[in-house]
Amino acid sequence: MQDQASLVAVLNSTWFASGLEPGIQTRLAELSRTFTAEPGQELFREGDESEVLGIVIKGRVALRIHVPERGDFTILTVEPGDVYLWSALVPPYRATSTAVAIEALEAITFEGPALRAALREDAALAQALYPRVLVAVARRLNATRVQLLDLFAAEQVRTW
Amino acid sequence: MVIPVSRSSRGSRPTIEGPGFLARADLQVLFDLLREDGRQLIGPTVADGAIIYDDITSVDQLPRGWGDEQSPGRYRLRRRGDERLFGYVVGPTAWKKWTFPALIPLTHSTHDGHKVSFEPEQATPPKLAFLGARACELAALGVQDRVLIGTEFIDPDYMVRRANVFVVAVQCTTSASTCFCTSMGTGPEVTDGFDLSLTELDAGFLVDSGTPAGRAVLERLPLRPASAAEQYGVAATVAAVRARIGDPVPTDGIHDRLLAQLDHPRWAQVAERCITCGNCTLACPTCFCTTLTQTTDLTGKNAVASRSWDSCFSPGFAKVAGGSFRARPRDRYRQWLTHKFATWWDQFGTSGCVGCGRCITWCPVGIDVRDELNAIAPPVPLSPESRLVEPVAATPNEFVTARVVNTKAETADTTTLTLTGVDPAFSHGSTGQFAMVALPGFPPLPISISRFLTDGIELTIRGAGPATRAMCALQVGDQVGLRGPLGNNWPLDRAVGRDLVIVTGGIGLAPLRPVLHAIVADRRRFGDVKLFYGARTPADLIYRDELERWGKRDGIDVSLTVDRAGPDWSGRVGIVTHLFDQAAWDGSNMIAFVCGPERMMQATSTTLAGRGVSASRIHVTLERHMECGIGLCGHCQMGKYFVCRDGPVFSIAQLGDTFGREGI
Repeated sequence: MQDQASLVAVLNSTWFASGLEPGIQTRLAELSRTFTAEPGQELFREGDESEVLGIVIKGRVALRIHVPERGDFTILTVEPGDVYLWSALVPPYRATSTAVAIEALEAITFEGPALRAALREDAALAQALYPRVLVAVARRLNATRVQLLDLFAAEQVRTW
Repeated sequence: MVIPVSRSSRGSRPTIEGPGFLARADLQVLFDLLREDGRQLIGPTVADGAIIYDDITSVDQLPRGWGDEQSPGRYRLRRRGDERLFGYVVGPTAWKKWTFPALIPLTHSTHDGHKVSFEPEQATPPKLAFLGARACELAALGVQDRVLIGTEFIDPDYMVRRANVFVVAVQCTTSASTCFCTSMGTGPEVTDGFDLSLTELDAGFLVDSGTPAGRAVLERLPLRPASAAEQYGVAATVAAVRARIGDPVPTDGIHDRLLAQLDHPRWAQVAERCITCGNCTLACPTCFCTTLTQTTDLTGKNAVASRSWDSCFSPGFAKVAGGSFRARPRDRYRQWLTHKFATWWDQFGTSGCVGCGRCITWCPVGIDVRDELNAIAPPVPLSPESRLVEPVAATPNEFVTARVVNTKAETADTTTLTLTGVDPAFSHGSTGQFAMVALPGFPPLPISISRFLTDGIELTIRGAGPATRAMCALQVGDQVGLRGPLGNNWPLDRAVGRDLVIVTGGIGLAPLRPVLHAIVADRRRFGDVKLFYGARTPADLIYRDELERWGKRDGIDVSLTVDRAGPDWSGRVGIVTHLFDQAAWDGSNMIAFVCGPERMMQATSTTLAGRGVSASRIHVTLERHMECGIGLCGHCQMGKYFVCRDGPVFSIAQLGDTFGREGI
């Protein structure tokens, strides 16, 4: 377990939590713990209850969706600075994909229920954190749209 | 060159057709002849610790035996230890002091009750003779001629003063460390713009004429024909001056290079030294900006408007009611430098700089314009990536052939063909250029050249339609038809000394591959180089071996991402902009090259702009329907551009709001 000052420093190194007010960062550090995973380790499965919200500090997490008969597809990798399991803040608090650490992972995690309780009770914390969560989710939504366009697919030659 | 000397049939004084020799002791004859002609002589003389131009009447007033030492911010006279009269370089005075005086009355006006009147001042200048104008100074007079009397509206004061001047040029036999006439194409040889020219030798002068007026004076001088040895000696001396000066400011393409650097960080750096005193513009022989001053008498009824030299470094120079357009020193320095070396060309068809070096010597803080130019708009290296060669088989009805010597399947649908036996023009093509590639029976298609080899090229082709599939199916030994190389190139010269970010997707890496080869070949010329490459799936990544080598061995920061992947892929999955949209970059010294589907390039340029990379430094390569490749068939028009001829590489600033607009 790291001390709070270094946790604050680590939070500040991520785009997700950088630049938040010192008081907010201290509060977040109080709620957080460090987490590590080995390459290949599964962090959670699609449909599981979202137990934590995580911020990747080092390493890479693949988010995968299973398609029956076709297998697992990685639809996104979560890179340092970005969050995983934002679903811990959004009902019904269920993971929307399966996550696997594909490189040795260092992360900071927040227990879902405790974080939700803190956000309900602490308006300043909620005011600071929710916009960041929204940016993270919106960024993913935009990326998904671009991926849907399948821009690099071979040109479909139409007759007219 | 030895010029024949003929004698007149009347057998009187010899008529010298070429240069003549005038003994130093006879130079006073020239003075007297010019004065007899009613001319006031202006020439070099020592005053205030410098060699200045002033009224002179006698050879004794010339700086006999004096030379000078000049360097940035420094000027010192020194004894030469000989009897030379013109053994110095240019001093602080420019001839414009007489042709374009620092202060002249312009208009007299009166106010009498309700009535106002304006009376223009008529200049009645004395007849002058300039003695000792150097090649750069002749060029400067020519530049001011263009500016002040060479366009639709003329400066009447300048016109009458200029017409009254007889110019005796002196060819340089010495140079200062601040000289760069060689770079500006103005010297040291005296070639034009004089009536008489002198070149000083140990015992006297070689004299030649440049106009009938000069000829008339020359014929009255006590000359003897110059010997071949004297003529050779003069040519060798001037050639030695040229060699000593070298080429301190390579000016090839300086106009475009400079204007492409309006946001270079160096402007702010030089402004930390520049005290905006305006010395450079006052010492400059071509600067022509002026301001008006109104002076009234005590009754307020009579006023004189006077015109005096102004400087774009003056705080109020660009002032309007709301403030100054160029409030910061960096703005003023940029205005001055870009005007001298770039926009002057647009306005007057000539450079505004003649390379005399006065602005360097007389800058109190020693700013060297040559250093600034080389730092802000570094010279274009004469390497394959920066020059465009003449294409072969330029017209759409002809092709040269090339033979396939290797094929490499990059992905399931993409193949790289190595071609040899191509015309050498292709090997000398430039990064980003394309070839029109043809097989009999198929329409010729524009294909980016993905590698330049000493005896061939590579083309990376994705089999998307019948013609490209036929090309991908070519085997070793098969031939193809080629035209090119066509189109413009990636502005690699602008990336020199900068950080470069390359963002590409799919087969868009093909036209950027030669850029990476050029960088690897001379890695030290560039700052940080980042390559962001996205593909549909891991199996769609092309040039996989090279990607690994560029990242591991060649000092390029390679980041790959794919849109989707199976569980065996441990790399990134996600869109290419996610690789840098949250990066803590400073984009102010960064240049970007982007190639991929247009929607992806749009997203990328938006993200790059958000990281501080300006639109003029984001370059994209466009794909349009092309049939001729040379701007004749009309298919690839995009707004005012033909993509094939004016592109395919454009900056976002060039494209403006046509980029990404539907239906353009």
